[in-house]
Amino acid sequence: MYQSFLSWRFLTARRINWVGIIGVFVGVTALILILSIMSGFLDQQRRMVRGTLSHLVIEPSPLMSATGAPLPETAEPLLQAVSSDPRVANSCAQLSWFALLIQGGRGSAYSASRLSDTTSAKLVGVQIVGIDTEAEYQTTELREALNTPPAGMSFGHVPVTDPEDPFAAPSSEFDASPWAWCVVGQQLAIVHGLRRGSEINLGTMIPDPQTGEVRQSNRKFLVAGTFRTGENESDLGRIYVDRSELHDFLATSRDYSQVLVKLHDYDRDGQALSKELSSSLAEAGLIRASDLNEVRTWEQYRGNILGAIENEKVLMAIMLSLVLVVAGFSVFAILTMMVAEKRRDIGILSALGGTRSGTLMIFLLIGFWDALLGAGAGAVAGVLGAKYIDPIERSISGFFGVQIFDRKVYLFDHIPAVIDPYSVAAIVLGAFLCTLTFAAIPAWRASRLNPLDALRYE
Amino acid sequence: MSEAGTLIAKDIRKSFQVGDREIGVLHGAHLSLHRGERLCLMGASGAGKSTFLHILGLLERPTEGEVLLNGKDAWAMSNTQRASLRNRSLGFVFQFYHLLPELNALENVVLPARIAAAHKDAPVGLSEATDRARESLARFGLEKRMDHRPSQLSGGEQQRVAIARALLLDPPILIADEPTGNLDTGTGKRVLELLLKEQEDRGLSMILVTHDPRIAEACDRVMAIQDGQIQSDTGVEIPH
Repeated sequence: MYQSFLSWRFLTARRINWVGIIGVFVGVTALILILSIMSGFLDQQRRMVRGTLSHLVIEPSPLMSATGAPLPETAEPLLQAVSSDPRVANSCAQLSWFALLIQGGRGSAYSASRLSDTTSAKLVGVQIVGIDTEAEYQTTELREALNTPPAGMSFGHVPVTDPEDPFAAPSSEFDASPWAWCVVGQQLAIVHGLRRGSEINLGTMIPDPQTGEVRQSNRKFLVAGTFRTGENESDLGRIYVDRSELHDFLATSRDYSQVLVKLHDYDRDGQALSKELSSSLAEAGLIRASDLNEVRTWEQYRGNILGAIENEKVLMAIMLSLVLVVAGFSVFAILTMMVAEKRRDIGILSALGGTRSGTLMIFLLIGFWDALLGAGAGAVAGVLGAKYIDPIERSISGFFGVQIFDRKVYLFDHIPAVIDPYSVAAIVLGAFLCTLTFAAIPAWRASRLNPLDALRYE
Repeated sequence: MSEAGTLIAKDIRKSFQVGDREIGVLHGAHLSLHRGERLCLMGASGAGKSTFLHILGLLERPTEGEVLLNGKDAWAMSNTQRASLRNRSLGFVFQFYHLLPELNALENVVLPARIAAAHKDAPVGLSEATDRARESLARFGLEKRMDHRPSQLSGGEQQRVAIARALLLDPPILIADEPTGNLDTGTGKRVLELLLKEQEDRGLSMILVTHDPRIAEACDRVMAIQDGQIQSDTGVEIPH
């Protein structure tokens, strides 16, 4: 086809065309690189937002079940009902309540930091969560949260002596202590100067579901170690204790407040199973009613934050698409100049038997080569750049002596980048569409030229 | 009798719109070119001969009148059919050579075959066309200049490349618009000899536009155009 032959020759004969190709290249590379890094960040954020939640969260409301009978007092029937579904991998029960961290009396180990007391308006509220260690480890990521955090984030970390039994006394010197052991969030430990063996006093109020009467209670616990999920809310305000110990402390009729469920394939089954369980558990009298959102996916549970993250990603993609529009404009400008320059040649082609559509095709193909070379090279560079972003960042930081990515700020030990093949394909396709659209305008003008003007007056 | 190689123009009128005014350039010009005939078209600048030539070359639509190429009304065809007809039946040689600067001599000569392929009407394949082009260029004394771009060739060499291009697909009609007008006398003479020899050897019909009476003498018939009308045909004195 003479159109492709000539378009290639016209393209390669003039160096100015490289500006268009480089424009598309830079646009595609930047888009892929930045979107991959953004996706990586969002992925990490999602993981943090999920924290130590599992895939599904079942929170039976208090009092009655749907059948009018009281809800079971133990978690076993609910755990059994959930585990019988083949899509469920593991499940665990938690008992969760709030407490105030209050002064433990004279000589308290953590009195350097101000706690909840009547002489200040400050309240140090914590969520106190009772767990069954083994089932919890199989269902959530708490076990990983007990590991030593990556370099730069380990300040204040107190490792538990035996992660398989985190609530055991760390050494024999504490054998005489009458108090149970707990694991606290790493930031909570930092703020209040908690160390291994620190004594904390938790005070709470427990309403009676039948009478509405509120009972006060407090108990001391000893710090066995810290955990870090990366989610601020948990790391600053959560304390894990053994579930039976907490049940004993609260003395409530029910020994659980929620059941967490881990699925084999959350992406495939999450939504459907959440709906199915909602009705089947209600029928079985294990939750109150199917329309109270007692069964939720973790995304529904953390809906607000996730929605914000997704919005951020879409907004970023829209803004970055403008880079491609700029590249399209450069192709447009170069081709417009070229058409004016090539007026005589268009006349020659016409004399040799070329058609208007042939002329249109020649200039459209120049845009196509711009897109093919620019987007092709840009896709390769973008994917490689995203893959090796860490060494690239390190060498740039080293060269300029400035730290571009501060790992302490982002709480990651590396720059997270997720390369999504569909996004790469969409970006390349977008670059093609954009470049061809901008090339179509000068190409159409070229095909409408009266080439004889050039031949006649030369 | 076959009508291939014949070109007949009947009562051609052409006017251009310049602002509110309509300016007439051709006022009923007639022409008939017979097969194998060498016809010379003469006229002062602005007489309308280039416009007439472009209409005969199917590059410009007349306001009125018809052009019969190989016996067919060329302006009644679709744009694509007319482009294909121009590609296969007409060979152009211009005063300013009009070679594409991005292509070398050989590629410039082969270009009509590439365009014919796009019309799905190629008489020869690309490789055969390339062989033909090489053979023509060698015959025209350009065997060592085939890889050269137009900017690396002299005026005479460029015009010889343009002649080879015009002849590549063996069109029955050649249209030459002052082919020596941009060359010095010696080079012009050699180029003209080459053009006339090829026309004669191939038995082509040719319309030659020129200012030069000596060139006109080499033609079978001379037509003079003045103020948009054919003023004289062979037998009438050639304007000096």
